[in-house]
Amino acid sequence: MNIKSIKTNLFIGLQYLTARKKQSLLAMLGVLFGVTTFIVMVNFMTGVNDFLDAAVFEGSPDITISPQPDLNKVMDDLDLDLMLNPLYDLDKIEDILEASPNVRAYSKQVITPAIFISQHVQLPGAINGIEADEEKKLYDLDKRILSGRGFESFSEEGNIVLGTSLAKKLMVKTGDSLRIIIPNGNEKQFRVSGIFSFGITTIDNVRTYAPAETLRSLLEQEELITNLHVKLRDRNNIEIKETLLNRVSKIGVEDWKDNNRTIVAGNKVRDVLTWSVSFALLLVAGFGIYNIMNITVVQKRKDIAVLKTIGYKNTDIVFIFLVQSLIIGIIGALLGAAFGYAISYLISVTPLQAKDFIIVDTYPVNFKGIYYILGIFFGILTTVFAGYFPSRKASKTDPVNIIRDI
Amino acid sequence: MTAAAHILKANALGKQFYEPERHYVLQNNTFEVAEGELVSIYGKSGSGKSTLLYILSTLDTDFEGELLINGTQIKGQSQSFLSEFRNRNIGFVYQSHYLLNEFNVLQNVLLPALKLNTHSRAELTEKARTLLTELGMEDRLSYPVYKLSGGQQQRVAIARALINDPGLIIADEPTGNLDRKNSEMIFELFQNICKTRNTAVAIATHDDKIYNNSNKSYEMIDGSLRL
Ligand SMILES: Nc1ncnc2c1ncn2[C@@H]1O[C@H](COP(=O)(O)OP(=O)(O)OP(=O)(O)O)[C@@H](O)[C@H]1O
Ligand SMILES: [Mg+2]
Repeated sequence: MNIKSIKTNLFIGLQYLTARKKQSLLAMLGVLFGVTTFIVMVNFMTGVNDFLDAAVFEGSPDITISPQPDLNKVMDDLDLDLMLNPLYDLDKIEDILEASPNVRAYSKQVITPAIFISQHVQLPGAINGIEADEEKKLYDLDKRILSGRGFESFSEEGNIVLGTSLAKKLMVKTGDSLRIIIPNGNEKQFRVSGIFSFGITTIDNVRTYAPAETLRSLLEQEELITNLHVKLRDRNNIEIKETLLNRVSKIGVEDWKDNNRTIVAGNKVRDVLTWSVSFALLLVAGFGIYNIMNITVVQKRKDIAVLKTIGYKNTDIVFIFLVQSLIIGIIGALLGAAFGYAISYLISVTPLQAKDFIIVDTYPVNFKGIYYILGIFFGILTTVFAGYFPSRKASKTDPVNIIRDI
Repeated sequence: MTAAAHILKANALGKQFYEPERHYVLQNNTFEVAEGELVSIYGKSGSGKSTLLYILSTLDTDFEGELLINGTQIKGQSQSFLSEFRNRNIGFVYQSHYLLNEFNVLQNVLLPALKLNTHSRAELTEKARTLLTELGMEDRLSYPVYKLSGGQQQRVAIARALINDPGLIIADEPTGNLDRKNSEMIFELFQNICKTRNTAVAIATHDDKIYNNSNKSYEMIDGSLRL
């Protein structure tokens, strides 16, 4: 088909399309609605997923290595022996971590149970004793600081950094003092030097940072290291877990999936829901067009017969009818993308009062170009498919049978 | 008459239908049209006139015998070839003026020309305008076709059949739905077309007047043509 006959067929197709404005508009609204919903849902759901991923995984280790695999045993021992279990074979573990290309960074931890005592409140909890230089490589805490300073405040003695929800419960602000008692009965007066938020209560409710050295002297256990926190380059590749368990005895290794099962499952459910609902909507829009084009083809049987007698070929007839749904599809998809953007924007600035699980001011929404391209692509693809079969049926019309009926 | 070349030649033309039972509707027909000749086919209802015309216009390719139009063997040609062939060589006029309602008068006439596409749109529009003026339709160019009278619609259909200057026009009872006055006018139009444009016209009709005033008249009786 050359350019000139494309122009002719386009002219004929457009003439039909504009002759039934109401139907065309309705079909276009179907595509528009499908693509809009597709984009809004994908933007919103992936926004939530990415937000949760960022909050949870940016603030948590991918792999945690601790002394005993059997937690019950540790609990039993605690009554008799207030000393914390150290990680044995630390050199061996570090060698394995250093050798693995998938390990981005790791950080040695002294984690101890503790009781926090502020002026008004007493709360049990735990403190992560860390080396600021190491921990910095795991998390970008500075990005998460709400008030005060982050790890760099540990260059001064007696500083402690808290999650925002915990600080609220203790009713302390940066600069306030906070007394800590650890299981062996030792206690120390700290100063709150910074408050942070990862945006998720499972972290902001409990996490507390202090320098490892300070905790060691409180615990009276020199050189103590209770845990190793590891960040991976590719979170989904957790081979290192097996390697560690096989080669080092008397350790427990947990990966991010063990600790965040509900979130991982939630993300999956949201993904499946988003994509299936979006495609179902596009399918419905496609059916609308299929119906309209089928009816049109039946109504225009005589026109098709006439066009064929005056020299239009089967390919011309397919083009004339297919181009109608294509135009409906293109306009509907483009408008749908625009509406999708507008609605996504409105959602992204809607204030959100969520305090139980996540801590955000507005709904998290993604604005990735690829989703618009996908929405437009599938929107148009659906209409082309929906239009193709009626158009082919039209081109198969035998003019003799129809003219005979005239 | 004998000097003129034939635009259409059919030999031993036959057609059978298989539904409801196998039967011949046309049998062993010879049919010839010379260039610029007006040929009429007269016959009772159901005698096979339309069936013959569908074959002659290359729409029905399932026939027996031989058909030559403009020197081209029609049998065995592809649908795609026949589409182009019809577009260039044959104009068709139906009993009911078959115009497309979504298009105005001028656009309806332009449809075959836009398909042929050998001239610019402006040139084609000018040609269609001239043609419609000749047919007395100059003040209805941008009218929606469904607002025209029966006679006017048939004139637009004739203009559409003529726009690509085909050598042959096939008309199936073109006056069948018209009153006496309009019938006479349309027939005169066909006579004029033959004379001034050297276009051959084959008309199937019930009308004695057409039968008696043609260059050549066939009578169709039960699927057999007689001169
Ligand atoms: N598709 C078909 N299948 C079976 N028989 C058919 C078919 N089409 C036409 N016929 C038969 O062929 C015969 C000739 O029909 P045709 O339409 O050619 O007649 P006609 O001379 O044009 O009649 P009229 O003057 O009424 O238009 C009729 O008996 C008709 O029933
Ligand atoms: Mg007939």
